[in-house]
Amino acid sequence: MRRQAAVRWRAAHQSLRTVIPALLVFWLVIPLTPLLLWAGASRWSGTSRLPQDLGLRGWQEALDAGMIAALARSGLLGAAVALIATPLGVMAGRALGWRLLRRPALPSVVLLGPVVLAPFAVAMGLDVVILRLGVPGEVAVVLVLSVFALPYTTFTMRATYLGLDPALEEQARVLGASSRQARRRVTLPAATTGLVTATGLAFLVGWSDYAVTLLIGGGQIVTAPMLIGSSAAGSGNDALTSTLALSASLPPLMALAVFTCAASRRRTAVHS
Amino acid sequence: MTAALNLSSITRHHPGAEQPTLAEVDLEVQDGEMVAVLGPSGSGKTTLLRVAAGLEQPESGDVLLDGMSVMGVPPERRDLTVMFQKPHLFPHLSVLDNVAFAHRLRGRSRSQSRAAAQRYLDLVHLGDFGGRRPRQLSGGQEQRVALARALAASRRVMLLDEPFSALDTNLRTSMHQLLGEVRAALDPTIVIVTHDLDEAGLADRVAVLVEGRIEQLDAIERLYAAPKTLAVARLVGGFNELPGRVESGAHHSSLGSFTLAGAVEADGPAILLVRKERLDLTHLDARPTVTGRVVQVRQSGPHQDVVVELDHPLSGARLRVDVEARLGTSLRPGDRTGVVVPSSDGLWAVRDPGAHEPSRDEDVVVMPTVYDEATTRRAEAGRVGPRAPFGGRR
Repeated sequence: MRRQAAVRWRAAHQSLRTVIPALLVFWLVIPLTPLLLWAGASRWSGTSRLPQDLGLRGWQEALDAGMIAALARSGLLGAAVALIATPLGVMAGRALGWRLLRRPALPSVVLLGPVVLAPFAVAMGLDVVILRLGVPGEVAVVLVLSVFALPYTTFTMRATYLGLDPALEEQARVLGASSRQARRRVTLPAATTGLVTATGLAFLVGWSDYAVTLLIGGGQIVTAPMLIGSSAAGSGNDALTSTLALSASLPPLMALAVFTCAASRRRTAVHS
Repeated sequence: MTAALNLSSITRHHPGAEQPTLAEVDLEVQDGEMVAVLGPSGSGKTTLLRVAAGLEQPESGDVLLDGMSVMGVPPERRDLTVMFQKPHLFPHLSVLDNVAFAHRLRGRSRSQSRAAAQRYLDLVHLGDFGGRRPRQLSGGQEQRVALARALAASRRVMLLDEPFSALDTNLRTSMHQLLGEVRAALDPTIVIVTHDLDEAGLADRVAVLVEGRIEQLDAIERLYAAPKTLAVARLVGGFNELPGRVESGAHHSSLGSFTLAGAVEADGPAILLVRKERLDLTHLDARPTVTGRVVQVRQSGPHQDVVVELDHPLSGARLRVDVEARLGTSLRPGDRTGVVVPSSDGLWAVRDPGAHEPSRDEDVVVMPTVYDEATTRRAEAGRVGPRAPFGGRR
């Protein structure tokens, strides 16, 4: 009886191992399928299951709408946010992960604040302050988005530093490294995976932001999400909206795929 | 001659601690010498090493390298390196690049650094492991790489902080052998912190650190033969203790008077120490020094320890001694036996921190027990009376 139960449990376990990844893929692919179809369709009426005519009308219209420039602006915005939020996140994550602070609760709550608060509310509040201070819109958007990205970088780096022994830096120092060299040559390279993840997350905060760019940028900074938002809200042109959405999704997805492959190859090399 | 490393009157308090972790510690290490700092957990061994390395700052005292004070000099600019209990290999570097790390810091090219590192890897018998990552190594191999890395740093003094304590017995033995080979090949100046007597035995001299104070700095044989304090005797272990008084070069107790040889403790309350392997068991009719009844026979490594309750000559008080016997003793609990106390060269007396003589109607238990910090603390506080269990690691 016990043996039969074990066999049944093993079979169920095996099927779960197949079904769950399949469901995950299905969950991720399903939302992208209509986008893919619309991006390759010239005509697709609401009653048809599949597009009636295939074509690149959506892509042409997206190029005309300034897709390339919008993607470049989004890229710049993401890079600027990552450039500010990642080093700050490394410092905060190091202090929290290695328990260098006497009272870590308060900084943790403050750092998590932007995630808890509604972006619209924060952006509206900051909009007034920034207008009064006369800070240029682009700078203001980068600064505010960096604040929103900081919790992601901080807590990613905190987890990374928790897994790293602080004694590594001491070891480097007694081998002749200054404290700066110890960080640059030992702990930061040892934290590469966390660092790349934190940078990616900060970049995505800037890349995919809509609310802050709209409210603080005042509609003057046209990024990819702004273009998608305006197309989705006003044009009724599904082919254009889908093409814009697809082109905004592809670069991060490709970057993620490259990073995952590189990390997996590195792990394989280490274990071989 | 100027010492390679000189720790002078080092005092260090850990925040919140009432007692100092290190109290006026002095230690001199000569060029090419290996000194072991031996002590129980919490005695301040690691703190002493960290102060020497510049990783902790003392409240007072000085650290001198070749006669020059390095107080205020950051760790990386002190001419010494540390090998910690954990190997702390840098996970993102290969084994070879870990060993080449110090060379690279000095601005040598990658190829030069690797060539130099390879020599040290060969020295620790891991010449073929250079391309591996640290996580692909076993615990023993990791420690060998850490040793090679510390040697490759080519510093004036090498500080080893219980480097082999996490390894199993066989690996530890092979690391001890390796350390011997390294000393023969490079003659480095080493300070090793340990709680292991066998490991301490590798050193030229041993500093016994108890509760932040160096109780004795001597060759390991002297610690076994002539401990300076009761705390040292208990840390070394294997001593039978008999409270009494020293007067005119002899120890007097309820068991009788025993003449002492060598440096005799000043007159006053003192504890007579006799190593368990210096006592002999004999037949009752062979004129033993004392007689008694076996109460326990237990295995102790390759020997057997026979606990004998002595027939007290003056009262009904209990007096027990621990005698090391060869394997296969025919004695069993309940048997009567004689015990031969060695001549004066096998006896040693130390000041009695309890500082009062046993009254004759007190039960006295005199046999080694496993060392623990509580007994040392009591001894240090002068609260060890004749009733207290005592002794040391066997």
